[in-house]
Amino acid sequence: MALLEVSDLKTQFTTRDGVVRAVDGVSFALEEGHTLAIVGESGSGKSVTALSIMRLIPDPPGKIAAGKVVLRGESVLDMSDADVRAMRGDRIAMIFQDPMTSLNPVFRVGFQIGEALRIHKGMSRKEADARAVEMLDLVGIPNAPHRAKDYPHQFSGGMRQRAMIAMALACDPDILIADEPTTALDVTIQAQILELMIELQQRKGTAIIMITHDLGVVADMADDVMVMYAGKQVEYGSADAVFYSPQHPYTWGLLDSLPRHDIDEKGTLLPIEGQPPSLIDVPPGCAFHPRCPYAQAVCRETCPELREIEPGHMAACHFAGTDSLVRGRVATAEGEVR
Amino acid sequence: MFKYVMRRILQMIPVFLGVTLILFVLRIPGLLPGDPIQLIVGEKTLTPALRAQIEEKNHLNEPAYVQYGYYVSNLLQGDLGESYQKSRSVTSILADKFPNTIRLAVAAILVEIVVGLLAGIISAVKQYSFWDVLVTLSTSILVSVPVFWLGMLLQMLFGIKLKQWTGGALFLPITGMGTPPDIAHLILPAVTLASVSTAYVARIMRSQMLEALGQDYIRTAMAKGLTERAVVFKHALKNAMIPVVTFIGIDLGALMGGAILTESVFSWPGVGREIYLAVLQRDWPVVMGGVVIVVLIVMVVNLLVDISYALLDPRIRYGGAAE
Repeated sequence: MALLEVSDLKTQFTTRDGVVRAVDGVSFALEEGHTLAIVGESGSGKSVTALSIMRLIPDPPGKIAAGKVVLRGESVLDMSDADVRAMRGDRIAMIFQDPMTSLNPVFRVGFQIGEALRIHKGMSRKEADARAVEMLDLVGIPNAPHRAKDYPHQFSGGMRQRAMIAMALACDPDILIADEPTTALDVTIQAQILELMIELQQRKGTAIIMITHDLGVVADMADDVMVMYAGKQVEYGSADAVFYSPQHPYTWGLLDSLPRHDIDEKGTLLPIEGQPPSLIDVPPGCAFHPRCPYAQAVCRETCPELREIEPGHMAACHFAGTDSLVRGRVATAEGEVR
Repeated sequence: MFKYVMRRILQMIPVFLGVTLILFVLRIPGLLPGDPIQLIVGEKTLTPALRAQIEEKNHLNEPAYVQYGYYVSNLLQGDLGESYQKSRSVTSILADKFPNTIRLAVAAILVEIVVGLLAGIISAVKQYSFWDVLVTLSTSILVSVPVFWLGMLLQMLFGIKLKQWTGGALFLPITGMGTPPDIAHLILPAVTLASVSTAYVARIMRSQMLEALGQDYIRTAMAKGLTERAVVFKHALKNAMIPVVTFIGIDLGALMGGAILTESVFSWPGVGREIYLAVLQRDWPVVMGGVVIVVLIVMVVNLLVDISYALLDPRIRYGGAAE
């Protein structure tokens, strides 16, 4: 049994303009100690997926309309509010994109790290403070006993994200959900934070769900990759499968728009043309078809099912695994690279 | 911090002198109707000799700038002059009234804090609910109702219409000056005085709370497994409180200085009513003394409020080297 199993998760938001299907039938499994990367553009439903697992979707306007989230055999969506609170921060912890705003400005950093320990582990204020200092030390904050007494504004961006990681890992959770943890940081700091996460994962065996739009991050860390587009899963498989034999044109687009230093080729970056669709008014058929250079008549009419292309590698494209699409891609690539 | 406080205290000096100057100019004979010398004499006939004698005694025959010099120098020695009407020092008159004003101000501030904060928090946490609509609507009405009119309505309702239940106790104006007013007498004036500010406190609290609840750190707190109550009353409230504390603090300064309208409507023997009566009688030393005291209190309280910021918000550290 996997540590976390999500099946057919559907999360919707009711707005004045209509129902937004932010997450529309997403399924995946996360094994102990593994890393799953959820990749996609802004608005593709990555963060909502994560918040749904934590049951942090604001209701109203949001609602988890269908699906299952099973943590070690226990259904998260059927838990009582008290059980969900007991789970949050203790069994599944989360860190967020913007460390500048994710820490409360009026409480000391050490206090904020110790808070989860006091609720979940029943520690006294003193024990929690001591443990907070240990955690800060663990995530590489120099002079931790002193810095624990600082307020967040006295920390730099990278240090705040380290503090967030310390906070999230304080209770030794089974799963750490990292929602674009490096997006708001300087490039040099990004690498440090990722290294820290990898190191802590190896030391503590924490499973990680890494939400990102940066495929470079994915390549460094992920065991499995799930690509999302317009609330749906378009490709899902092991990192190797998704990187070396991507099946969905959207995944190709993501890979083509990634700068690469490993191949000495004068290729240009190829952006994906167009904008992600509005989730209120998703195009009929395959949601990606208006931006897909290989779209055919069938793409405009029928929404492709997620199907297994090779063992453990799924894609939602009518032409996935067929020769026609691959030939088309090669032809286009040759035409454009010149 | 010390440097900041010193700078603020030094800044008070020109403000204070400006206020005294304005007050002094207003007192120049002929600028406002009424003859203070006639008031001093009272029923007696005012002969030119007597007038000259009184002018001499009060330095009224000197040029205006000399008079101002006398005034400021007396002021600095804590001498606010003598009432034209009562032949008592202004200091002793105001000292008599001051405890009553403080009593009323403290009661009003308590109403403001308890009712205003609670209403604001409930209305933010239960946004768009019945309670939110109720709070939003009633605060809109309260801020637009003139205080003196609200006071009179309350007097009519509790003192006259509901007399059999209240025994008129909530209405009775205080006649015996100097006798300490009891709690029952305090209720209506305090509620009246607090009305507008309570509405403002509720509104500021609501908007600040809504803003705080939408912040990322609230999501972080939820993700930690905190209860909703802990999130609202600890993480959101401390952030939301900062502007509210400012408002209450400044308001406290204003109320401490005496609420002229409320004290007059309820015949509350405080500083505000004393100033009002003195204005009617052109008793300039009392008016000036009263206003000067009010200005001083407001300035000092504002300074205290600014200092208290630093306690609430760690990001503010006045004057020190920024990180």
